[in-house]
Amino acid sequence: MTDELKFPDSSGLPRESGSIDERTAQLIREAYLPPVASGEAEHAYWNALESRIMARVSGGVVRESDAGWWSVLGGWAQVGLVAAAALFALASLLSHQLGEPEDQVATDAGYEAVMPGSTFINSAPVQLITASNRSTQRDAALQYVLSY
Amino acid sequence: MRIPDEERALVVAAQAGDQQAFSGLVRLHQRRAYTVARAILTVHEDAEDALQEGFVRAFQALDRFDVTQSFGAWLNRIVANAALDLTRRRKVRNTEELSDALQSPFRDPAVGAELRERLARALLQLPDRARSVIVLHDVEGYTHVEIGEMLGIPGGTARSDLHHARQKLRELLKDLRG
Repeated sequence: MTDELKFPDSSGLPRESGSIDERTAQLIREAYLPPVASGEAEHAYWNALESRIMARVSGGVVRESDAGWWSVLGGWAQVGLVAAAALFALASLLSHQLGEPEDQVATDAGYEAVMPGSTFINSAPVQLITASNRSTQRDAALQYVLSY
Repeated sequence: MRIPDEERALVVAAQAGDQQAFSGLVRLHQRRAYTVARAILTVHEDAEDALQEGFVRAFQALDRFDVTQSFGAWLNRIVANAALDLTRRRKVRNTEELSDALQSPFRDPAVGAELRERLARALLQLPDRARSVIVLHDVEGYTHVEIGEMLGIPGGTARSDLHHARQKLRELLKDLRG
């Protein structure tokens, strides 16, 4: 005895007018059964299929209610979000590294305004040229990153 | 439709996270769901894939299932969707493949080879949806409305498809009848 739910056998139902004849229906019905022998082998087939289904269900399938907000995003949206976060982090890093000399120039300029001549000896013109170049480099790097 | 108490208990337990209960639902419904997938996909291996995918999707969405409704009807819609998705991805169907699929499982050796071959070819000549509709209705006994829900079409369209599919099948098999 099995605990399978028994559905009514549609082959025994009165046929609707216009239906294909019973012999053809029976042939199609048989053709669309799994290609397994009847009896014990058939029972074993369904047991094996149930096991495979449950292996997939048990193997890390996450219920929608357990997945949280992340599951709302589709696969590519998740990849895009990760890529955007990585680019943002990279851009921040580049900006931080390339911005340091400019900060120094700004500091020197501040001193120069308060005490004229105080930074002139410290090769301020050289620093200004360097800062300008690095600023251009930084802008180019940021444009390159953001173009993706 | 009245839901059997046993099935309702399994659904409620599965919704609470009991995988054994979900296994019970698989046992109850896999045969019927397989026929739905097979009617759409025709090839056994594809039907198995869609069936497994359908059960996985059903498990994922189990919390959204209303226990006052028929679990079988809900599951069949999900399996049918998985089968239709697979159909879109695998548009490769050749006569030889289906012919083999149809010949191998016939259990009555008295059925003539010519009849099997003609039937296989006739089914192949039907449009995909028409073939699914005629199998689900005339062979498996689903209503037009149920078929429409499974295939994502209005019930009237399922009825119309069925009418045309029957006509075509009769025409293709007319010299074999009698």
